[in-house]
Amino acid sequence: MKLTRREFLRRWGAFAGAWVGLSHLGEPVLAFLRSRSIRWPWYRSEEVRVTYNYCDMCMWRCGMRVYTVNGRVVKVEGNPKDPKSRGRLCGRGQAAVAHLYDPDRLRKPLIRTGERGTWSFREASWEEALDWAAEALARLRDQYGPESVAWFAHTTGDFWFGDYLPLAFGSPNVGKPATGLCLTPREIAAQLTFGRGLGGHEPVDWENTRYIVLIGNHIGENAHNTVMQDFVRALASGAKLVVVDPRYSTAAMKAHRWLPIKPGTDTALLLAWMHVLITEGLYDREYIEKYTVGFERLVEHIQPFTPEWAASITEIPAEVIREVAREMAAHRPRAVVPPGRHVVWYGNDTQRMRALFILNVLLGNVGRPGGFYIPRAPALDPYPHPPFPVEVAAGGCGAATAGIRIPDTPGHPPRADGVGTKFATGPVVIQELIEPMITGQPYPIRGLVVYGVNLFHSIPNVPRTIEALKRLEFALAIDVLPQEHLAWADIILPEATFLERYDELWVASHRTPYIALREPAVEPMPDTRPGWWIARELGMRLGLADYFAWSDIEEYLNTRLMSVGLSLDRLREEGGIFTWSGKPYLEDYGEGEAPFPTPSGKIEIYSEALARAGFDPLPTYEPVEDPPPGYFRLLYGRHPLHTFGKTQNNPWLAEVYPENEVWINEEAAAALGLKTGDRVLLENQDGVRSGPVRVRATPRIRKDAVYLVHGFGHRGSRLSRAEGRGASDNMLITRYRLDPISGGAGMRVNFVRVIREV
Amino acid sequence: MAQLAMLIDLSRCLGCQACVIACKAGRELLPGERWIEIREVVVGRFPDLRGAFVPHRCFHCAEAACVQVCPTGALYKRDGFTMVDFGRCSGCGYCAEVCPFHVPRIVDGRVSKCATCLDLIQAGQEPWCVQTCPAGALQCGPREEILAEAQARAVALRERYPNAQVYGETQMGGLGVILVLTEPPEVLGLPPRPQPLPITVWKGGIQPLSLGAIFLSALTSGIAFFIARRRHLEEKNGAFARSGKAQASHHPNRKE
Ligand code: SF4
Ligand code: SF4
Ligand code: SF4
Repeated sequence: MKLTRREFLRRWGAFAGAWVGLSHLGEPVLAFLRSRSIRWPWYRSEEVRVTYNYCDMCMWRCGMRVYTVNGRVVKVEGNPKDPKSRGRLCGRGQAAVAHLYDPDRLRKPLIRTGERGTWSFREASWEEALDWAAEALARLRDQYGPESVAWFAHTTGDFWFGDYLPLAFGSPNVGKPATGLCLTPREIAAQLTFGRGLGGHEPVDWENTRYIVLIGNHIGENAHNTVMQDFVRALASGAKLVVVDPRYSTAAMKAHRWLPIKPGTDTALLLAWMHVLITEGLYDREYIEKYTVGFERLVEHIQPFTPEWAASITEIPAEVIREVAREMAAHRPRAVVPPGRHVVWYGNDTQRMRALFILNVLLGNVGRPGGFYIPRAPALDPYPHPPFPVEVAAGGCGAATAGIRIPDTPGHPPRADGVGTKFATGPVVIQELIEPMITGQPYPIRGLVVYGVNLFHSIPNVPRTIEALKRLEFALAIDVLPQEHLAWADIILPEATFLERYDELWVASHRTPYIALREPAVEPMPDTRPGWWIARELGMRLGLADYFAWSDIEEYLNTRLMSVGLSLDRLREEGGIFTWSGKPYLEDYGEGEAPFPTPSGKIEIYSEALARAGFDPLPTYEPVEDPPPGYFRLLYGRHPLHTFGKTQNNPWLAEVYPENEVWINEEAAAALGLKTGDRVLLENQDGVRSGPVRVRATPRIRKDAVYLVHGFGHRGSRLSRAEGRGASDNMLITRYRLDPISGGAGMRVNFVRVIREV
Repeated sequence: MAQLAMLIDLSRCLGCQACVIACKAGRELLPGERWIEIREVVVGRFPDLRGAFVPHRCFHCAEAACVQVCPTGALYKRDGFTMVDFGRCSGCGYCAEVCPFHVPRIVDGRVSKCATCLDLIQAGQEPWCVQTCPAGALQCGPREEILAEAQARAVALRERYPNAQVYGETQMGGLGVILVLTEPPEVLGLPPRPQPLPITVWKGGIQPLSLGAIFLSALTSGIAFFIARRRHLEEKNGAFARSGKAQASHHPNRKE
């Protein structure tokens, strides 16, 4: 469209700045005026101070411009220079201001005075709380070794508490929810197939694609800003869309075809699609020859997986399976089956992701326009520090192609998560660090530092987690909000929000490699402190001063930036973002440059590594257990205004979507005598019950499953808006199936029945 | 001055509600107050479903019923938009009664509806909602261009959505928000031919009252404030039976 928008806006610019600056009136007067509906900016544009940040309202990390007037953040906006936000933010990002001013925030260091789990704390000074925490950690380290302390970390400050301090401390037991509870199977599958992980930002070449098949991928409900932008633009420019989902999702509303697949059968569908592409000779022969190994084995392997075979499993007609495969082929290589996120479903997830990748490979789209681009990350040096006593891949969704270590670093304390016994390979999986706290196997974990991870809304099997928390000798929690698990800590340290602090640079693996700056827009709320400061103070007290040789955070950042010829000031001048050019396509790689760093140097359709380790070298379909009579499979997902368990208390977001509902197929609901708005409880196969939740009777879901938006049902927190609202899916996920390859926790294996609340 | 308009393309809207929050943030709305509501519409029976998200917000009618009944001049037209002078609003709530789209609410004794980010437009920017929409479903510009764009899009969408059409070209004398629909308006919960509440009702009962209000507000806006306050309290006491209805429709209204 050729709207002369800029021109017309410029014309209007002549009338700019007519309002009176009111900001000098002071906060009480302004508060009164606002309540009396002063609806226009009460400040003059000259009064606005702009700082740069990257969003922490979800893990996507969109670049932001933060507007501050007289020490008060008034608005955040997307940073137009940022390759992710491109000047736009999602609703959660827009609500960052309400996060900053959430009256429930933790405002004082706290030290436990009563029973764990009872919220018995007294306020303490930072000095006292830090001394106490460091002393407890040092005691565990000296008595049992550093591996006796586990570190759980999430959100952007996880650099300090996941990737830095624990390694200096010497513990290999660093867990991030982004691994075993989210992306690990996908990253391992990519590693095995392409020789590199995908990284946090799925490298889908939306701009050029003509045919999109989403399978377990909920764009729009998953509100990752860039993906929403790219997805809609692709559709608007005519790309066809097929959505495979047991739910008529937001994305399905936009689709040309919606295939309401039977949950758990996705691999069968993927295999059947490969079958059609291969038997009908529709795959990209040249590409396969040039870039892959093991195709002949696949040809043999795929024979039994006919569309008819898959139709009986997936409940998708064979003819539809054929048609979609042919349409994909007709659009290749500009046809793509994007990998979703949160791929831990049934415990066979590495194999399913392998199937998905191989399907894409048959379309010849990896490293080609319209398929997947090849991301690159900028290479910044770390701030010089002594070598870490352990080296471990904590992974994480932000990690650029996590280095995968199988299974331990020789000569260092081994990991406690069972890698090499319970599962084969990959970064530490957080949920397997709970067991050692209870059983002491393979060795006891006695201490826990938890940073920004809600233990009860992310890790499955909550009763087990509580049992573990009871046994710990010491638990330290660092957080912004009084989430329920904090009641179980011995010491709580209140962190400043991302709008109030510097942080590690955001070094993004992307189509255009870039770095982004986070700087404080305002001073931290009294008695809250930035994560880097907390990590450093703890480090100093733990005798790790050599790892914190920098005088202040600005010096730290400047030193890192210097390694690529930048500085903080320069980065600000550049608008908070600095980009390099990437090498997105295969054609950008010359002789001797390996775009696919596998052992064979090619895409491994047939995986020797898997064969050697005793796994299927080519993906197969494993049936999953069906719900028993009277039960539904529990599915869960996202609402575009909420992230994990951490935004339900945000004043603005809670106002618009305050509690989740349980989606039940309208006919199934009617059969149970239920209608929209009725209050019910959900009880899972183990007899665990959720809190009361409202029914949403809808045609938008199959009859064999129910659906909850994740992250609600906070119970036992001190979150005034979120407490007691809705039902927690994670409470109902008391069991999971461990993926034997990657250690991912398949969580779609729980069943619930619906009980009318009396 | 040229007429301006906004565009909402329902084929693009993902219902993410970024616009809702951006508006709330940028206009510093009160707790509980929102000027955009995203309604979800899904029709059909499993598995033959069709659906869309419909941003429900002030449509900025050219012949705006709310402006016609507003006794204090708090609502007025400018450059194609229905503007609000909050200082003048007496909180009488007539606008809420006559709006064919049931948009205005009374919050804390004042009208509450999209007041238009004309200040941003004048400063060379776009309205907050338009700026942030990740899907690019919103635009703002000269009405003629917006209308032409909407028509072109509707045509292009016919293959995917056979009922694709433009809404707002003629309704209420032409809306300042032009929608590209994927379904007929009645399916999406929009009145195909919106009508203001019968004007006779208004003339018979309400107008005499409003003339009084105009007189008073002409004296001083301070007095208007006290009237608003009193009316507000009266409302709370149930003097206006309709106020309850206006509040109730504040909640997301889902149609399936
Ligand atoms: S997608 Fe939204 S919440 Fe996530 S980083 Fe971007 S703006 Fe923030
Ligand atoms: S921001 Fe855009 S896509 Fe999201 S609900 Fe609003 S109009 Fe729709
Ligand atoms: S134009 Fe401005 S006031 Fe109106 S809905 Fe958009 S952001 Fe809100």
